[in-house]
Amino acid sequence: MKFNATKKLSDNRPLRTVMIWMLLTLITAMGLNLTAKAIDYGTDPAQWEKSILGNEAEFADPLSLNELLLRVHTDLFALILIFILVAALAVRTSHSLRVKMGFLTITLTGLILYPLSLLMTPWLGSGGVFTAAAAFLVFHGFMIVGALDILITLLRGKL
Amino acid sequence: MHHRLLRILALAFVALVILQSLLGGALFFRSVGIGADQIVSHYGDKSFHGLIEVILPHALFIGIALMATLHFLAFIPTLGVAIKQFATHALFLLFFLDQSSVLLIAAGWSTAAYLKIIAFIGFELLLGWVWYLIFRHTLKELV
Repeated sequence: MKFNATKKLSDNRPLRTVMIWMLLTLITAMGLNLTAKAIDYGTDPAQWEKSILGNEAEFADPLSLNELLLRVHTDLFALILIFILVAALAVRTSHSLRVKMGFLTITLTGLILYPLSLLMTPWLGSGGVFTAAAAFLVFHGFMIVGALDILITLLRGKL
Repeated sequence: MHHRLLRILALAFVALVILQSLLGGALFFRSVGIGADQIVSHYGDKSFHGLIEVILPHALFIGIALMATLHFLAFIPTLGVAIKQFATHALFLLFFLDQSSVLLIAAGWSTAAYLKIIAFIGFELLLGWVWYLIFRHTLKELV
């Protein structure tokens, strides 16, 4: 078997089609992940806090460290793959180095902060929950916008 | 500059897989334990369906993570083919041993718990060594 490397994705039509469908699937996956977290933890920081740290008045138990570890481990599996697939395409775009480095730095920071601060919530309390929620939203927001940008560039045959 | 960004991305990927492995290790130690008796009692109680629910995502992720990690190793020109071949065969074999030992434990062969411990520790140590080689080489190229 012989693999042909191409400098411009648009020169290879089948490869371009695969990338377009992959991006559409990843954007859908990120949308579904946001929806799943809204169902699991809620849509505002107070609801996240209640779901993760519990609430004595409402007899809601906090999530145990084992439960948090399991959730973070399962989440990271998908998020790492999404990050690598989108970022590998993002570095090929014609944006300036500053924009590309900014994109990688922000998304990578979000991807590392989300699991670590969620795991630290038994010690950090609401600060940890807020950081985890913000990092989760920032990561998904930037990745969705980045993936959409690459998708449009691919559809216009500029990548 | 494009290649430099790809190298940074490669380092980020390796760092993220290390983070994921550490979290997986912590989850294993906290929910299962490292003693052979604890491993037998944890996996012995699980149904076949329950075991598949654990093995399937691991097979999927480890397959992809090892492929990505080892392809970086394959591109290091200063390393011999024999080392690369050894690391690849050994990592995949240890992973298969680690996962299949769980099925053996559930089937009633409790001695397989020792096989799991050896395969798990061997896999982690060997993967750590491969990551070290990749980090060392990538940093050399970046600096």
